[in-house]
Amino acid sequence: MRRLFNIEWAKLKYHTPFWIFAGLHIFILLMIFLSAKFFLDFLAGKGEMINDVIDPSRIPVLQFPDVWHNITYVAGFMKIVLAIYVIISVCNEISYGTLRQNIMNGMSRGEFMISKFFLILLLSLSAMVFLLITGLAFGFIYTKNIELHEVIKYVEFLPAYFLQVTIYLLVAFLLALVIKRTGLTMGLLILYTYIVEPIIVFRIKTEWIKNLFPLRSINNLIRFPFSKYLLRETQDYVALQDFGIAMAYTALFIYLIYLALKKKDL
Amino acid sequence: MKPAVSTHQLTKHYGRIKAVENLTLDIPEGSVFGILGPNGSGKTTTLGMLLDVINPTYGSYSWSGSASKTENRCKIGSLLETPCFYPYLSAVMNLKIIATIKKAGHDRIDEVLKTVGLYERRNSQYRTYSLGMKQRLALAAALLSNPPLLILDEPTNGLDPVGIAEIRDIILAVAKLGKTVILASHLLDEVQKVCSHFCILDKGRLVHSGPVSDVSESEQRVELGATDMELLRETIKAYPPLIQSEEEKDKVIALIPIDKVSEFSQFLSKKGIIITHFLTRRKSLEKQFLDILKEQQ
Ligand SMILES: Nc1ncnc2c1ncn2[C@@H]1O[C@H](COP(=O)(O)OP(=O)(O)OP(=O)(O)O)[C@@H](O)[C@H]1O
Ligand SMILES: [Mg+2]
Repeated sequence: MRRLFNIEWAKLKYHTPFWIFAGLHIFILLMIFLSAKFFLDFLAGKGEMINDVIDPSRIPVLQFPDVWHNITYVAGFMKIVLAIYVIISVCNEISYGTLRQNIMNGMSRGEFMISKFFLILLLSLSAMVFLLITGLAFGFIYTKNIELHEVIKYVEFLPAYFLQVTIYLLVAFLLALVIKRTGLTMGLLILYTYIVEPIIVFRIKTEWIKNLFPLRSINNLIRFPFSKYLLRETQDYVALQDFGIAMAYTALFIYLIYLALKKKDL
Repeated sequence: MKPAVSTHQLTKHYGRIKAVENLTLDIPEGSVFGILGPNGSGKTTTLGMLLDVINPTYGSYSWSGSASKTENRCKIGSLLETPCFYPYLSAVMNLKIIATIKKAGHDRIDEVLKTVGLYERRNSQYRTYSLGMKQRLALAAALLSNPPLLILDEPTNGLDPVGIAEIRDIILAVAKLGKTVILASHLLDEVQKVCSHFCILDKGRLVHSGPVSDVSESEQRVELGATDMELLRETIKAYPPLIQSEEEKDKVIALIPIDKVSEFSQFLSKKGIIITHFLTRRKSLEKQFLDILKEQQ
C-alpha cells in the first residue's frame, strides 16, 4: 500500500497541473466564500434600509452550526475542477503509454487502480480539510456565543462532502479509462453533469426514481440548505437512505473501473 | 535445457486479423532468443502477451518457477516497441518510479545511466531527449533491477552505430552471466551476432525454431582477399569441391563444404597465392531467414 502511494506521489509531485488544479479549486472556493462574506457585511451595513424585509443578523449563513451545511453544499458545485485533474492524470497515463509500462514493470492492474484511488482520496481528503479550516474560521468570526455542541452539530456534512467528491472522482476515473481522450472525457463529464442528468431528472415525475440517478444521488447527501432561512422545511442531516445509495454507487463504480482495466489491451 | 518460458497454443485475434495463431514455443533458460519475422508477423503481440499487457484470445504461457505473474514481471526487464516515460520528469525521477514498482532499490540508478551513456543528462526532463536518448533510457530502465530475464523489442530502434554496438555488448555481457534474453529485431546481422536460438514468425504462425548454429551444417562461407585478386578468382573457380563463389569489390566469397576449410587454404597457398584476408563465416541468418520465408510461400 505504502509502495503504491509512493509511486502515485512521485508522479504527482512534479506535475505542474496537479498544483494548478488543486490551487484553482481552493482559490475558487475562497472567492465564493469571501464574496458571501462581503455580501453579508454589506447587508449588515445597510441594515436599517432593509430591516423591514430581512434582518441580516437573522441569517446565520456563516455561523455555527449552519456554516457546515452551507459551505459543503456550495463547495459541491466545484468538484468538477478536481475531476478534470483526475481525467488529465488518467488520460495521460494512457497516451504516454505509462499505464502499459507500469504493468510491464510489475504492477498488477488492481495495483494500478489502487494507486489512482490514492490520488482520488488525496484530492477529496484535502478538499475536506480545506472546508474544515474555512468552516472553523468563519464560524469563530461570525458566531457571537460559541458553544461546543453548536460547533460540532452538522459536522457530519464534512464526511458527506468527502464521500460526494470521492464518488464523483471515481466517475471521472471510469470515464477517462473508457474514453481515453482528455478533452472528450472532460466535455462529456461536464455535459452530463450540468445538462444531461439535470434534464432527465427534471422530466421524471416520480421522486424515488429521480433519486436513483448517480449524480443526483450523491448530491442528495447534502440537500439544499438555504430554504430554512425562508422558514421552509429543510433536511439538515444525511439520510441513511441517501448514504446507502451513495455507497452502492461507490461499490458499482469501483467494480466497473476494475472491469475496464482488466479487459483492456494496453 | 529447461525453458524459462513456454507458451501453449497462444493466440491473439483482432477481429478478423490473426495477429498470433496457435503459438507453442519453449524459450530455453540462459539462451539469447531471437524472434524474427516480417513487419506485422506478431512479434510485438507475442511479447505483449508474455508481459500481460495484451490479453490472449486463447492459450496460455508459463514462466519457470512458482512466482505469480506480477512477481515475475517485477523480475523482467522489458522494452516493448516505443519507450514510455513521464515526459515532465527527469531520467532519474522516472527510474525511481520504476525501481519502486519493481520493489528494487534506488542504488543502481546511477550505474545503469552510466551504462547507457545518459549520466550527464540524468536531470533533464524526458521530453527534451532525442529519439536515441529515449531508447537508451528505455534500455536503462530494462537493466535497472538487474533482472534475470530481459525482453527487448527492437532495442536498437533509433540508435546510432555506436549505440547499436553498445547494445550488442550489453546483451552479450548479460548473456554471459547466464541470464535469458528474448530479442525481437529486424537487424538479422545483429541477431546472428548475439543470439544462441531463434524462431521465425510469419503472419502470426511459427515457421521455424531452433539454435542459431543449425543454420550452416554442411556449408562454410569463406571471405578471401589476396595481393593478386585476379589469380585468386581464377584459382578459386578451379577448386573442385567449390559449391559457389561470389565476387565483391575487394574480396571473394567462396562457399565450400565445411570439412574442407584447411584443405582449401593449403590448396590456395600451393598455387602461390599470397592471402591477405581469410575469414570463415557461417551462412548468414539473413539468407536463411529469406529461404525459410520463401519456402512458406
Ligand atoms: N491493437 C490492434 N488492433 C488491431 N490489429 C492489431 C493491433 N495490434 C496489432 N495488430 C495487428 O496484429 C498483427 C501483428 O502486429 P505486431 O505489432 O505484433 O507485429 P510485429 O511483428 O511486431 O511487427 P513489426 O515488425 O512491424 O514491429 C498486425 O497485422 C497488426 O496489424
Ligand atoms: Mg513490433
